Amino acid sequence: MKKKMLMLGLAALTAVSLTACGNSGGNSANGGNGANSGTGNAPAATNANNGGEQQQVELRMMWWGDQSRADLTNKAIDLFEQKNPNIKITGEFGPSDGYFDKLNTQLASGTAPDIFFLGGNVVDYANKGVLLDLGPYVGKELKLDDMDPSMKEYGTLDGKLVHISAGANARGIVVNKTMFDKAGIPVPQDGWNWDDYARISKEISDKLGKGYYGTYNFTTDGHDIYLKQNGKQLYDMANGKLGFEEADILPWFQYWDKTAKAGGVVTPELQVSNPPADASKSLIVTGKAAMTLLPSNLLGSFQSATQDELIMLQVPRGSKGTGVVFESSQGLSGYAKTKYPNEVAKLMDFWINDPDAAQILGNNRGVPVTSANREVLEASASPTDKIVYDFTSRVSEATTKEPFAVSYNPPGNAEFIKLSDNTVQQIGFGKESVDKAAADFYAGTVKIFESNNQ
Amino acid sequence: MRTVRKPLARTHNRTAYLFLLPWLVGFFCLTLGPMIGSLYLSFTKYNLLDSPRWTGWTNYKEIFSNDPTFSNSLVLTFKYVLLSVPLRLVFALLVAMALNKGIRALGIYRTVYYVPSLLGGSVAISIVWRQIFDSEGVVNTFLGWFGISGPSWIAHPDYLIYPIVALSVWQFGSAMVIFLAGLKQIPADLYEASQVDGAGKARQFFSISLPMLTPVLFFNLIMSIINSFQAFTPAYVIGDGRGGPLDASMFYTLYLYLKGFAYFDMGYASALAWIMLLIIAAFTGIVFATSRYWVFYGDGKEGR
Repeated sequence: MKKKMLMLGLAALTAVSLTACGNSGGNSANGGNGANSGTGNAPAATNANNGGEQQQVELRMMWWGDQSRADLTNKAIDLFEQKNPNIKITGEFGPSDGYFDKLNTQLASGTAPDIFFLGGNVVDYANKGVLLDLGPYVGKELKLDDMDPSMKEYGTLDGKLVHISAGANARGIVVNKTMFDKAGIPVPQDGWNWDDYARISKEISDKLGKGYYGTYNFTTDGHDIYLKQNGKQLYDMANGKLGFEEADILPWFQYWDKTAKAGGVVTPELQVSNPPADASKSLIVTGKAAMTLLPSNLLGSFQSATQDELIMLQVPRGSKGTGVVFESSQGLSGYAKTKYPNEVAKLMDFWINDPDAAQILGNNRGVPVTSANREVLEASASPTDKIVYDFTSRVSEATTKEPFAVSYNPPGNAEFIKLSDNTVQQIGFGKESVDKAAADFYAGTVKIFESNNQ
Repeated sequence: MRTVRKPLARTHNRTAYLFLLPWLVGFFCLTLGPMIGSLYLSFTKYNLLDSPRWTGWTNYKEIFSNDPTFSNSLVLTFKYVLLSVPLRLVFALLVAMALNKGIRALGIYRTVYYVPSLLGGSVAISIVWRQIFDSEGVVNTFLGWFGISGPSWIAHPDYLIYPIVALSVWQFGSAMVIFLAGLKQIPADLYEASQVDGAGKARQFFSISLPMLTPVLFFNLIMSIINSFQAFTPAYVIGDGRGGPLDASMFYTLYLYLKGFAYFDMGYASALAWIMLLIIAAFTGIVFATSRYWVFYGDGKEGR
């Protein structure tokens, strides 16, 4: 009996300690990302008491994106350091997949960068009070006189300015014109509707044959556009609730199911192995898919990756219009616990107002948010830039006639996106009927929303 | 005499504890502390950034009553463990036996086969694996020579588990090295005696090698089970990092990670971690409990 007890005890102990070993191994595997975190916060210099002399300050900055964006960003950082010799900036970046996981971990452990980029999920962070209130610095370090009022408004959540947009974009349909020419189909025009879209997708795929597709399936990215086109919205921020019912979103899933079954939509497998927004893999770039939904600021990197001619069209119309507005693509937020809020504000000011910075950064994160810098860029626009400007001005024009509210992602956005992708794949791989999948989707959305909206 | 011996023993103990100190500090600060912390968190709603709020058993109730992803990920993880552990052990044993034939340059082979064990958990290898099993990757090119058009292994939810299992099996090195050491321990006279009695190769394997190896097998089995339950990197990298496509790479650890770090629900993730701990402990317990029936220690005191 004693032996038995001893053995059980041993077994339990082994399990516990071995599990623990495994855990620590796992942690170091993901910890590789964050290994250099927490080192940059220490004040670099000792001359804090030297009265007149300026204190040496070190800031950490984090963004997501590919290598070309990193090169641009680092160049801009170098310029800022030249102009402000007392501030040193350590840049960190990663692909968008893991970026927010890394940021969340650092926020939780109190080692977040002093300044970081956020997208439409800024609400998730503003709700949790981790963003620096920029109000006190406006007009001093941070000059916003020339910034578009709508962008200022976008960064103001719960009455506090916590986010400075670093570029504006509009979503639209990117079209591989070369594929249309090959297929001998006329390139569509703004003002088309969803039936046209489905028909043209099928035509392209039929004309070009096996292995060529008309469009990616952008159910997930298009939720808010579709809802707005029909007078609803994803997230009713003013009233703190979801802005749609199950019946409002079901037709959107049905539309894609129907279009996919008719042919012309990229298969779910291909969509997984060649994600639409990845310029290095997208079938748009390789000339296998003719159209997809894309934010306008990505056109540049897509065009530079292919010989095919790419253009941008407005999203097909629903009953109330296109539902697309010219909106913030992504922007800068400060960490509430940063030791150097003034310097953070200074860097933001540089980012949006400095003409040299605008020259370096270009439209990579969207069109500049100040009119002065827009003029700087327009003077030296490349052909691709011109397509983007032409497109965004068409969108702006359309929204003056058919205005739509700027939208934020609902709380719990990461989980919501995952749920939606799953739903699309359940339908796409034929595991679930559209009605059932959409019902599950709505129930899941409500659950995520309630869990995150406190 | 007694009065002298006691302090001596005490000094010995003290020295022993001194040597144990680094481990003890590590255990209490880095393992036990966080474990107790996570036990507390598992009873709270904790979004990483606000302070945790006590909610009692809510997380556990939610997990068991209303979370299909939990059950799916558990099933997937079990499937992975049940596929990868036996395959890896069989493979490791076969290679170990081949290497035990007294071939030349054994050290080199041993090292070469051990390397995957060191690299297998890394992100780089997982990325390479992605390329190998891509729809136009090496595997499908190979299958193409035989007129088989392989599926898109990494992009189709029905097939994704196989590349991940293959990656796990490929890391057979550490189990193999231990098997090899075990095989070397078996006295040669047993084989000689059996040969005199007319036993064939198969008979020798089942009657001598395998029983003599059971302690080693036992150790390898437990290590493999525990490791497999905690597989994370292959699921994270070979899948899309979000458990997709269609939750086919949503291993338990990945779900736990996503809940905690991507979905701001660390309390829930902690509860998941404790359930995982209990499951692994149960499995280890079962293997220990059955060991008396099949582990042979060769010292006459079987199944201690």
